[in-house]
Parts: sequence; structure tokens; C-alpha cells
Amino acid sequence: MFEIVDLQKIYRMGDVEVRALDGVTLDIAKGEFLGIMGASGSGKTTLLHMLGLLDEPSSGRIVIDGTDIAKLTDYERTMFRLYKLGYVFQDYALVPDLTVMENVSLPAMLRKDRDDEQIKRDSYHILQQIGLCDRRDHLPRELSGGQQQRVSIARAMVNKPDILFADEPCANLDSENSKMVLELFREINEEMKQTIVMVSHEDWHKDYFNRIVRLKDGKVVSDGFNGKAEKAG
Amino acid sequence: MGKKELKVAFLLALRSLQRGSRSSVVLTVLIIAMCFTNMVFLPGLFNGIGQSITTQVVDYEVGNVLVSPKSGDQYVTDLDATLDLINGMPGVERATPHLSKGATLKYRQRVLGVSVRAISPNDEKYVSPLYTKMVAGSYLGDGDTGEVIIGKPVAGDATIKEEDEFQPSLGGVRVGDSITIEYGNGYTKDYRVKGIYSTGWSSADNTVYVTMSDMELVEGKPLDYADYITVKAKPGYSEKFIKDELQQYGVSQKVQTTADLLSKVMGQALQSFAIINMVSLIVGIIITTVVLFIVITIKTLNSRRQIGILKAIGVDKEVIMHNYGFQVIIMAVMGIFFGVILTALIAVYLAANPIVTPEWSATLYLTPLDYITNSLILFLASVVAGYVPAYQVSREDIQSAMRA
Repeated sequence: MFEIVDLQKIYRMGDVEVRALDGVTLDIAKGEFLGIMGASGSGKTTLLHMLGLLDEPSSGRIVIDGTDIAKLTDYERTMFRLYKLGYVFQDYALVPDLTVMENVSLPAMLRKDRDDEQIKRDSYHILQQIGLCDRRDHLPRELSGGQQQRVSIARAMVNKPDILFADEPCANLDSENSKMVLELFREINEEMKQTIVMVSHEDWHKDYFNRIVRLKDGKVVSDGFNGKAEKAG
Repeated sequence: MGKKELKVAFLLALRSLQRGSRSSVVLTVLIIAMCFTNMVFLPGLFNGIGQSITTQVVDYEVGNVLVSPKSGDQYVTDLDATLDLINGMPGVERATPHLSKGATLKYRQRVLGVSVRAISPNDEKYVSPLYTKMVAGSYLGDGDTGEVIIGKPVAGDATIKEEDEFQPSLGGVRVGDSITIEYGNGYTKDYRVKGIYSTGWSSADNTVYVTMSDMELVEGKPLDYADYITVKAKPGYSEKFIKDELQQYGVSQKVQTTADLLSKVMGQALQSFAIINMVSLIVGIIITTVVLFIVITIKTLNSRRQIGILKAIGVDKEVIMHNYGFQVIIMAVMGIFFGVILTALIAVYLAANPIVTPEWSATLYLTPLDYITNSLILFLASVVAGYVPAYQVSREDIQSAMRA
């Protein structure tokens, strides 16, 4: 599904060259719950942004379901993100002026293949799944952090994306809410066969992943399935 | 850009205004309303002054159409036949002659030079509202002789000392008093003051009116001539129509409409007003544009991360741009609406309480076209001011926006 070949991202800060990603090669299969782990500055968020089409690599190739991302125009990339990808950010990133229902519906409202009735049905359904249907008319500021993150997951899931990206989704949550969010991801992955790529630096999160890629200094240092030995990168 | 995208952009805009900072929205709407008021107030006031002057010139000086002596003649001659001809034409409410003579008024120790204007009082009622402006006594009748009506400034006020007067007067003449009028031809006669009037039009208020019958005594012969004839048009008939008709039916004197006369007399004044109006308009537009530009720029800068997130989840940059564009459009429409209400209220207030000076009284004169033109100009300025920062921020790349 995902084919990443020799991905590099180099930032220039004055005369200094920073290699955020240094030749990452990776395949991601459909239905995986992949955890990208590593210390701060290891390049995990940069990799997630490359995979999620939020940034462009300096070199290398990303192919998603046969589509070479480098060949897409700006508008095509936007539409690709809308139709095929879903995102969960660490600070929830909900639109503060929209209700829960409106936030969840927003990506679906832009799709040309969804009518109003279907948008309403899908949004309602996903809110029921995450257990926040009764809060659908509330604004994000009226919800707890954990609830906001669940709404953010619902928004990412409403378009039934091919891949769901989560960038440290538990970073702003206490351990109880973190567990709730991780359980939700596991549930989505197992019941809906949803491919999830999640960045985390919390070691205890690895229990929820079925595959873990570890990065260090922009390189893959290990890659393996949970419960089995991670092979060296 | 499809219907769906516009719908989402509008929803985002509406929700931002509804649930975002209320005070910011109210302040911006008020600024736009004030800018609209600023744009229309001064031009409206100048138009009001112009209208007031025009009305008074029509009411007390020339009527709708002025028939004056042809070049080389001192008077409009063959007066009765000319009046009959004009009064018989369709669209003419009434034509009435004026004959003015310079004279000196004497009352007790006061001596005052004024113009004495002879009129046909009953016909004058159709042409001028002078008869409604009596503040003491009564208006002239056609057969009155030995009686005059005088303007309030001419009558003066007995409680004000001569040296303290704003303009020379007779020092407090009252109805029933006798004043002496000495005409330029030496004819002198005592008249009883029948009434005192106040029109608010300086020229009329500094005049003394007598009947044509009385003026015949002054001239010592029947009056079959006049300085000019003022013609009042019936409602629905244009001045131009009356003028063309008079010329077509053989009125050999000089025929001019009020517009013809005012274009010469007031042309320069109106030109000055137009320049001031233009400066006021440009300043208003610049203020509005800059304020809205700043408001939307601050709003977009504060929402950069939000914009980055929206782009990340697949919201097209056009949707984001139109979101801010719609916000400006909604605020501009609300601001213009309040501006219209505000200026309409001011106009109503000034109609009831005009700004009065010795020369004119001003109301706010605004036509629907003034409202429409200024609304459109302000609306376009607002849209430009809103869309420029919205366009800029919507083009920013996702990473930079999300890092903000």
C-alpha cells in the first residue's frame, strides 16, 4: 500500500545542513497499526508529515496505492489528503467555532461524492462509535481534552480514509485519557481494518501497535512486529 | 470552485462571526457603519444646502421658470397679454409679475435703504409660500393700498440697541405702525405695516412688499410692465417643458428655468462642494480599506495554525480564502446596513431640526442613488481589503502555517 524508498529531508539553517530524514525505506501494508517511535528530534514527525503529504521530501519516493506522490499537483495533493488520508494531531486541532457535529462533518462536506443526508448519517454514526453522540451540539471548548481528541479521531475517520495518521495524539492527555484514545485506535484498527500510522515517544504505547518502526537521527534503526523481535534497520 | 466548497466557506465564515469574538465583529461593523456615514454625511449636507438654496430661490425669487426682459429691454412689456398667454398654457400653475424699486424707509429716527417689491398678492400665493410665513399681522390683499408687509430683519427688535444690531433695521416696527417710504423717483408716502414675515431667505426677508396697485401710484401710470414674471409649474410638469412651451407659443422675452439660472450662479459653489465631497469620499474609502485590511490580517495571522490544519485535512486554499472573504462581505453588508439606518435617522432628525444660518438652512439630502453608489463603493473597498490578506494567508505552505 505504502512504498517509501530512500526518503530524505534536509533542512538548511543558515550554513548548517540538518538531515531530518536520512534514507528511510519502508513498506506499509493495509490494515497495519504502525507505531513510529524514537527520541525527540529523531525525525518521526517529519516522516509522518512526508507520508501524510503535509511536506515534500528533499529526495526519495513515496508511492501510495500505485500513485507517485511527487507527480501530484498542489490541488491533487489536497484532494488526495481529503479523499484518502485522515489526520489526528497532538493538540486536537478542531475548529473552535464549529460544534462537534460540524467539526466531524467538515471533511465530508467537501467531498463531491457525499450528499447532505449521507454526511449527516456518517457523522452521526462515527460519533456514536466514539461515544460522543450526546455531545454533538457542543463546542470543542466545552469538552475535556480526551473528548476533543476523540472528536478529532471521528473527524479523521468520517471520510473512511485509506490511512489514518496520528501525530502524538496522547501528548496532551493524562494516562487515563491516553489509554482511552489508544483503545479507540486499536478498536478502529481491529474492527474496521483501518491502517493507522502513529507517532509516539511514550514507550508504553508500543503495546497497542502491531508493528513498530524506530528512528534515530533520521534513520530507521529497527522495524518489527509487536511481540516479535524488531529487526535492525 | 464548486457549490459545495462555497457552502463550506460560507459555513466557516458564518460560524466564525457567530461564535468567535463578538466584540471584534461589532467593532468592525461599527467602523464600516461610521465610514459609510462619513462618506455620505458631508456630501448629503452640501446637497441639503444646495437643495435649500434652490428651494428658496424657486419660492422667493424666480419660481420654476423666469421670464425676464429680452436683451436691450428694461422691462417685460405688454404685461397683461403676456400673463394671459402664460397662464393659459398647460402645465402652468400661475404666472405673476414682480417690479422692484429702490427706496428709503423711515421710522422714527431710523433710516434704511431697501428694495420695495410690487406683487399681485393673490397670484403670488400660487407661486410663493410667502403668505404662509407671516409672523405678525396678515398678508397683503390685491386691492390693498397704503399697506406693506416687511421682513422681520427690516422690522428689527426694539429691545436691541442700534449699535448692537447684526444688520441695520427700523428698530422695532410693529404691525399697525406707520413707516415712510421715499422712492428713488422722489415719490414719498406713509404706509401702514400690515404684516411682518420671516422666510429664512435673506434676500426676501430684507425686502418690503407692496401691491401692484400701490406701485402704480408710485410710477404714476398703469403698470403694464414688470421687471420679470415668475412662473410656477403644475406638479408633474418639468421646468424644461414649460420653458420650451413658452418659447414655442411666442413669448418673446428671455425664458430661463431655475436650473439655467442656478447653473451659472451656483456653479462655482457646487464645484467646490463636489471637490470637498470627493476628498471626503476618498478619505472614507481609505480609512475603511485600511481598517478592514488590518482587521482581517490580524484575524488570519491569529488563525495561521488553524488554516494549516484545515489545509492538512484537505480543505482547499480557495475555501480558506473565501471563508475570510465571506466574513468581510457579511460584516460589510451589516456595516453598510447600519450606516444606511444611521444616516436615515440623521436625515429625519435634520429634516425636523435643520441647521439654520442667516443664509441657508441645511438638511441631509440623500437620494436612493447616493445610498446605492456609496454602498457599492464601500462594499467593493471592503471586499478588496478582506480578500488581499485572505489570499496571502491561504497560499502559505502547510508546514509554515502549522508551525505558527
